[in-house]
Amino acid sequence: MGEAIVITSGKGGVGKTTTTANLGTGLSQLGYKVAVIDADIGLRNLDVVMGLENRIVYDLVDVVEGVCRLKQALIKDKRYEGLFLLPAAQTKDKNAVSPEQMRKLTNDLKEMFDYVLVDCPAGIEQGFKNAIAGADKAIVVTTPEISAVRDADRIIGLLEASELRDPLLVINRIRIDMVKRGDMMNIEDMIDILAIDLLGVVPDDEAIVISTNKGEPVVNENTSLAGQAYRNIAKRIAGENVPFMNMESNESFVSKLRKLFGLAK
Amino acid sequence: MTEENAIEFKGTKQGLSICIKPNYDFQTIKVHLIEKLEKTQSFFKGAKIFEIKGDMLTHEEKEELASIMTTRYKMDISSCEKPSKSVNSKEEVFEGIVEGKTKFVKGTIRSGQKIDYDGNVVILGDVNPGAQIIAMGNIVVMGSLRGIAHAGSNGNTKSCVAALYLDPTQLRIADVIARAPDGDYEKPNNPELARIKENMVCIEPYLNKK
Repeated sequence: MGEAIVITSGKGGVGKTTTTANLGTGLSQLGYKVAVIDADIGLRNLDVVMGLENRIVYDLVDVVEGVCRLKQALIKDKRYEGLFLLPAAQTKDKNAVSPEQMRKLTNDLKEMFDYVLVDCPAGIEQGFKNAIAGADKAIVVTTPEISAVRDADRIIGLLEASELRDPLLVINRIRIDMVKRGDMMNIEDMIDILAIDLLGVVPDDEAIVISTNKGEPVVNENTSLAGQAYRNIAKRIAGENVPFMNMESNESFVSKLRKLFGLAK
Repeated sequence: MTEENAIEFKGTKQGLSICIKPNYDFQTIKVHLIEKLEKTQSFFKGAKIFEIKGDMLTHEEKEELASIMTTRYKMDISSCEKPSKSVNSKEEVFEGIVEGKTKFVKGTIRSGQKIDYDGNVVILGDVNPGAQIIAMGNIVVMGSLRGIAHAGSNGNTKSCVAALYLDPTQLRIADVIARAPDGDYEKPNNPELARIKENMVCIEPYLNKK
């Protein structure tokens, strides 16, 4: 019996889908069997980010309505044997499924996989309720912006009300240089407000944009700092104890040299 | 008859109380209700409904049931819609701020959550931005107060708000409202207490300074 984890944030655009795709890929790199579900019915993206859009025949709503069998709708990843995507329907809306149906669906998937990751839509309405229905655990994604942290706080409250206690926090798109200058919220402030355990910090990285557009999750790129961060988070989910990485290493070689000679501020 | 009924009518002083048992789907409940009312149509005509009880029902479903009863069977549901708020407003100002009833809440109060109590409130945790604490008496936060706090909500001007870290978005005491300054301002570095002085909210440390 596997474990279902919902990835949520409240606010849109903080990187739920990117996080889902990368953690799904990261966990399957570690050899686990993983299913990722796109619960954002009507605004599906996860398939695009994973580069599997052209393989979709059946979707989540088809499974729920009994048009096809669950196995028929699961799409196998390009690279990893153990990674499968259950895409959302694009032509329906969030009301096409109910929380009970989602609960049954995730339970069925849990029988077949080690991890079931659910990509939650933005907002706190029906789509959110559907996405969290079958989850055992939750990961809350936020960015270092007051609005995103506020929404994350609201979401944590709603998760607690739905008996999903102790969610884990992923802080996305942090820029250490800006934090140092005092222009961006720092990690401690966010943890102080949200009062939940930190699962990982992902630095802002151009490689994300590039890889998203290519449909290849950034975890596959060994040189990318964000990719490294996602690999670490995947290991932490799997129960490994990985220390938080040093974000400073994204300094360029030239600036390191400058510092060495006392030229930098 | 073996068939169980999903609906029970109970007479109370204020009017009829309709209890809806759990574990029935909404369609069955609707059918049962209509069946029951059809049988006894004239009896319930004009009857006053006090409340519709049913934990499994959503607000919309309750409203649908209510509309069936009012339109088809001419029952009176007006009193059911609004809880007896009008009685509360006449209530005397809460005086128990030195010694009186108190609610203790453990845990973080998050954005969108609201604590409303007709006495003193003690929060054993933080109050985050976007959360609201409303108390007729004092408010004490054993943590950071970053949301909205309203002490003396029904008029006690002697009530106070205290927190280990007092940095609220807005602070109300009785009918006096204060808000956090715009832009950067000095954050507190010790526990503070807010109360009304000369009709203004005044914040000061409540521990003796060294």
